[in-house]
Amino acid sequence: MIPHYYQHFCPVKILSGHNALSNIPYEMDILGCRRAMVVTDKGVVDAGLINLVREAFAGSDKEIGCVFDEAPPDSSNRLVNKLARLFEKEMCDCFLAVGGGSALDTAKGANIVISEGTDDILSLQGNEIIKKDLLPMIAVPTTSGTGSEVTKVAVIYNEEKNVKMAFVSDRLYPRVAVLDSRMTMTVPPKLTAATGMDALTHAIEAYTCLQKNPIDDVFARAAIELIRKYLVRAVENGRDEEARLGMANASLLAGIAFSNSMVGMVHAMAHACGGVCHVPHGVANAILLPYGLEYNIPGIPCYIAELSGMLGGSIEYLEEKEQAMVTVSLVRNLLSRLNRISGLPVRLSEAGVPEDKLPAIASATINDGAMAFNPLEVSYDEALEVLRKAY
Amino acid sequence: MDDVLKRTVNQVRSLPGFPALQAGVKHVLCSTVLSVLGPAFEVVGRHVPEFRKEIESWEEGRRFSLGVLPNGPAITLEKRGSAIHYLGKGLKSPHITMSFKSYDSALLVLMSIMGSHQAFAENRILVKGDLAQTMEVNRVVNIVNAYLLPGMVVKKVLKRAPQMTLKSYINKGKVYAGLVPAVVRHLI
Repeated sequence: MIPHYYQHFCPVKILSGHNALSNIPYEMDILGCRRAMVVTDKGVVDAGLINLVREAFAGSDKEIGCVFDEAPPDSSNRLVNKLARLFEKEMCDCFLAVGGGSALDTAKGANIVISEGTDDILSLQGNEIIKKDLLPMIAVPTTSGTGSEVTKVAVIYNEEKNVKMAFVSDRLYPRVAVLDSRMTMTVPPKLTAATGMDALTHAIEAYTCLQKNPIDDVFARAAIELIRKYLVRAVENGRDEEARLGMANASLLAGIAFSNSMVGMVHAMAHACGGVCHVPHGVANAILLPYGLEYNIPGIPCYIAELSGMLGGSIEYLEEKEQAMVTVSLVRNLLSRLNRISGLPVRLSEAGVPEDKLPAIASATINDGAMAFNPLEVSYDEALEVLRKAY
Repeated sequence: MDDVLKRTVNQVRSLPGFPALQAGVKHVLCSTVLSVLGPAFEVVGRHVPEFRKEIESWEEGRRFSLGVLPNGPAITLEKRGSAIHYLGKGLKSPHITMSFKSYDSALLVLMSIMGSHQAFAENRILVKGDLAQTMEVNRVVNIVNAYLLPGMVVKKVLKRAPQMTLKSYINKGKVYAGLVPAVVRHLI
């Protein structure tokens, strides 16, 4: 069905390849930049990935002004202010974010502070509040899941209020996304599985939620098909270059899809699990995806049914709701397989969620912004019931 | 006949000043509906228990506004005790601002042609402030709509119409009865 109205925007230049990093200095030249601030985390540095980035700069007239490797799992307002001051002190002119979602969000947060000329990032939370153009940012993801390299969202932790704040703006898109298969080679199997399921959840929710549109459907379909082909391969053999690049592309495609189409109740519950019990985002999405799909079947059986073909299910004549249940089974089969080969949890109880925290998670779920885009209404009691099923 | 009608409409539309007139009419419509919606929060809050339950956990003094960009009409409301108070027209230092990007988008929602969830999904509303609190405000807006609009319209604009019991219908009657005096009181 063609939507009544929709928007699609993705201004990110994409470089994808087994040695794509080597083009970064050239891209900086195009952007009119000379001195990059690398924003990353200790894990990326310890894995030796920053050395690959340094090598890419060798022999060029561009330079790395500073490497900030303190990006935490949840970037805070205090940290982005600190990073912004360092950026100015080091006289850098662009950000080179290397890492998972948090490194990219940290760079986006500091970029907002610098470009808006404020030290109070809290005043800019909401959607489309940022009015000034941001400095160029080049994103190099080191996990295949968040899709942050092509999204217009940054999540920053508010230390005073103890809550996560979402910043949504078309200005938050990085200028360039660099997918290099070498950057994800060292990701362990369980994390590869969790981040891959995160990407699958992005694509599936983009395909089934209220802001679904024909352009993002194309991206979501392509992402799902790549995940079907490469996720298990990448988990089984992390050195499989083709599978790694395939998953990096899947994550990016799913990122483009959900940055425009947004996500729904699975993400709302996963955000809540992360906020209340610190369950890793990809793990929570993986566990909750089949339950969220099941909940939404009465509202959008046709869209969920269509997913079965992309996930490798046989296409035969079935009623829509039966076909939709096939989709749920296929997701469960994939989860079971990932559980066997990597130990990815398949229930909330296995992910360290205490049962008495489920009411708090349900409360946070219905207040999550993603819930606005879910096709069906979800009350507190219904969210709690879904969480109990997944427990 | 159709051709004649189309030609006439086109001629009217090409009159100098027509766009300004059209914008003026849209402004008046939006402003009028918002003038009713503001007091409606107070009246629904007085008679509907689920409304009071929904705002129970809100912090005292939370202010939110609904309006139209760039300089269109807006209203501001505030939580005080167990009620929402209408502070009148304009932005009065709200913590959360929900603004329609255009008069056309505003009219779709304010005239109950489209639900607020669909307007969010279609990028018609800009939000400034805490998104979790915005979700709470949106639930309250939905309750107000459920008690303000006829059942058939409610089914169209809400993702799920609330279950109405006999008591709910009585409360809906009380809301209708109390709305006009509340609007008049705020106009005086």
